[in-house]
Amino acid sequence: MKTKMFLTLTLFLACGLALFVFADNQEEEEEKNLLVFPKAYKTKSVSNGGKINGVVKFDGEAPEMKKLEIVKDKATCGKVDKFDESLVVGEDNAIKNTIVYLMDITEGKDFDAEAKKPEIDQKNCKFTPHVQIVPVKVRLTMLNNDPVTHNVNIADININKQQTRMIKRLRINAMTKPQGPVEVKCDIHGWMRAWVAYVPHPYFAVTNEKGEFSLENVPAGTYKLGYWHETLGNNNKEPVTVEVTAGGEVKQDFTLKMKK
Amino acid sequence: MRITMLTLTSLFILACVVMLPSFGQEAQEGSLIGKQVYEESCAHCHGLEGRGDGSGAENLLPRPRDFTRGLYKIRSTESGQLPTDKDLFDIITVGMPGTSMPGWETSLSTNEREEVVKYIKTFFSGFQENEKPPREVRLADKIPYSKESVEIGKGLYVELGCVECHGNLGRGDGTSAPTLVDAWDFKTWPANLTENWNFRGGSDPEDIFKRFIGGIAGSPMPAFQGDTFYHFGLTPEQSEQYAALEKKVEDGEELTTEEEELAAQYFEINDTAATAALDWAEGLEMSPETLKIYNDAMKVVYEKSWHLANYVKSLSPEKRPEFAIGKHVLRSQYIQGELPALADETWNTLEFSYYPLFGQIVVEPRQFNPSIDSVNVKSFYNDTEVVFLFSWDDKTHNTSEEENEETGKTYQDAIAIQFPVRPPKGPTDPKPYFLWGGKKPVYLWQWKASAPDTLTELTAKGIDKAEEQEAQGNFAVESDYTDGKYSLWVKRSLKTDDKKDLQLDVATFVPIAFSVWDGGNGDIDTKRVISSWYSFVLEPLPSTRRFIYPPLVALLSFGLLVGLRRFIQRRNS
Ligand code: HEC
Ligand code: HEC
Ligand SMILES: [Cu+2]
Repeated sequence: MKTKMFLTLTLFLACGLALFVFADNQEEEEEKNLLVFPKAYKTKSVSNGGKINGVVKFDGEAPEMKKLEIVKDKATCGKVDKFDESLVVGEDNAIKNTIVYLMDITEGKDFDAEAKKPEIDQKNCKFTPHVQIVPVKVRLTMLNNDPVTHNVNIADININKQQTRMIKRLRINAMTKPQGPVEVKCDIHGWMRAWVAYVPHPYFAVTNEKGEFSLENVPAGTYKLGYWHETLGNNNKEPVTVEVTAGGEVKQDFTLKMKK
Repeated sequence: MRITMLTLTSLFILACVVMLPSFGQEAQEGSLIGKQVYEESCAHCHGLEGRGDGSGAENLLPRPRDFTRGLYKIRSTESGQLPTDKDLFDIITVGMPGTSMPGWETSLSTNEREEVVKYIKTFFSGFQENEKPPREVRLADKIPYSKESVEIGKGLYVELGCVECHGNLGRGDGTSAPTLVDAWDFKTWPANLTENWNFRGGSDPEDIFKRFIGGIAGSPMPAFQGDTFYHFGLTPEQSEQYAALEKKVEDGEELTTEEEELAAQYFEINDTAATAALDWAEGLEMSPETLKIYNDAMKVVYEKSWHLANYVKSLSPEKRPEFAIGKHVLRSQYIQGELPALADETWNTLEFSYYPLFGQIVVEPRQFNPSIDSVNVKSFYNDTEVVFLFSWDDKTHNTSEEENEETGKTYQDAIAIQFPVRPPKGPTDPKPYFLWGGKKPVYLWQWKASAPDTLTELTAKGIDKAEEQEAQGNFAVESDYTDGKYSLWVKRSLKTDDKKDLQLDVATFVPIAFSVWDGGNGDIDTKRVISSWYSFVLEPLPSTRRFIYPPLVALLSFGLLVGLRRFIQRRNS
């Protein structure tokens, strides 16, 4: 009898250990992701959804933006001064280019027509916008409005395409898996940077100069609200919980600090 | 009874729980051999977990590959695709020239190499997730090498923007070269296309073709897929017409209705073909019609690409030049009267002698990642003077005395040409130590990019024991840096009054060696590239006497130095 007890105990212990090991792995996996995506997402028509909006601000004195040294194609690239956009803090400490999004929504609206035609412009040797949301299975279009050659290097998804000055419009392969934000570089002009997030649902917003974001037509429910910023990090570990009511409006501001 | 059943079931489950993960692991990690080989031969560079962070990785550039991102440079597959097993097997077999990645043909058996391929694939999950085998670049319909093909390729080299990184003449001195970094943010340089023996993945037109069609994943070098070609989908004639229309619009001219329709039609053809190319790249199902559009469009692209591959091939000599020993020893040629100036065409009548360089790794600070392949030398002399033309490729022109912000040091390009103070008396008379002498001193000509018209004479008794000579000899010096190549022209009298100078006699073999600094690669002080001792001779006229001993001695001592270098390298690694 005692041996049986012992065996059962061992079994439990083994199971516990296995669970522990697997759970640990999973956490590690998630930590690598910069954004949190739901396992699956289903579109449905949403009527009388709620709204989440707010402002993202910087805590403390914002560092000055570094002016970029233009070492190539000066006639085109040097026309306007350019600054390192890894942290853009405007008036009232408003932070531009922060992604604010729902982490765990599994059902909701479809992307609107405009969101399905994402573009990044290359003008004066700068990518605009600096952060772009691209739905999965949708092709990102790169525009070249400069009389010089660029290249579009997104190493994380193994894409590196030359876009000579003659190729005004170049599309980038769609992704099937949500991922990112991945860094977009131009190696011809080493200072050019942008970020692309491949996302499975439309509840993603990027803050404007005033730090504002707005997620609209959200089905009523309780959600985890996340943010991501290139320099200031994310809140994957401690998302904010928001409760959205039909037709209601939730205000949720964020204050971000420099990472230590 | 029930209890026994329960126990048995429990035992069974327990067994499963314990065994399952290990089963999974076996399938995933391949056989034990692969793991063993990896841990013994590869891990000290590539890291135990394949992250490219082995103990020997830090000093190396390019860094040993991090296998966890699935980025492989040398593939036979299309852009964005993983390599085939054969690609991996081949690169492991032959290694990657110009990097620290060795070839394993002799030290690992075929089976061991196959098993280690399986093992390194376990570091990136994409290999398991892929249902279809990676698509290979189509090599059919190769256009053979010809002058015409090279000429067409030359145009494409500029049109496609290769020139931005690789430079006008392919020496890797493009205007974007200084700022390039790889996917891990380590500094990287465009290949010097005139030295294809240093290519990582082979120098045949097929290799070159695969490199730019498929790209060099993880490096800044883009992939030149279909839709990145101008007017993809249009025939050459259509493209020409369309270009004319586009130019009209650009110049602000009105198009006639007919022209507008034509332009719209061409736009449509281009757009459809580009869409087909994306369908292809994404591995989507394609209708026979779309597939035909894609294939037709790619035909034009492949044709252009073969021309480009032939052009790139044409930039290098047929094979790496023979080292300047034996019958390739530098023989200064006698001419009567005035010696040729730097830009004189007379230089073109001579073949250069080729002096390979290697990183200085004997004394700290060392150069483990040399950026300069070799120095080429030509020479003439007359009754009173000798003139040398030294040339070497350098991707960056660093003349500045400006301090580097991080290190507080100044980096600039430079060269030093080394001779013994007195030529050895005979074959058995030993030469000074090749690293700037020792007990036996050496005599040096040092030139720096910051003072391009002067030469300094040094006497040295060791790599850190060099002194400027008090009386500086009479030299004529000229130099030039164009398209990634330095030329240094030095003229001197055969004899001087200074006892510390080298005196030159016709038909005497004189040892010569080089040190070169590439400021753009962080070369400074002992961190530089060097050669071992070679020799040169003022070829007597008429050249009837045969030299047997001196070249033989040169050959022997070169062999000795190669041995020494190997020994040092082995000791250091
Ligand atoms: C002395 C260090 C060193 C050792 C030992 C070494 N490698 Fe490498 N390896 C490198 C470096 C450096 C690179 C990257 C070169 C580059 O990126 O140009 C590399 C690259 C590679 C690549 C990538 C090839 C490609 O196409 O991108 C493979 C595969 C590889 N090594 C396999 C191995 C295997 C297998 C072993 C052991 C049998 C091994 N290496 C041992 C230094 C090393
Ligand atoms: C954005 C810069 C860039 C552009 C544009 C570019 N290259 Fe490169 N290229 C590189 C770099 C960097 C390497 C070195 C890759 C490595 O070994 O890591 C390279 C390497 C090569 C190599 C050597 C491959 C080998 O096996 O080592 C060839 C050949 C080459 N490029 C051809 C071309 C051609 C042809 C074009 C134009 C169609 C081109 N490149 C455009 C950056 C560039
Ligand atoms: Cu650019």
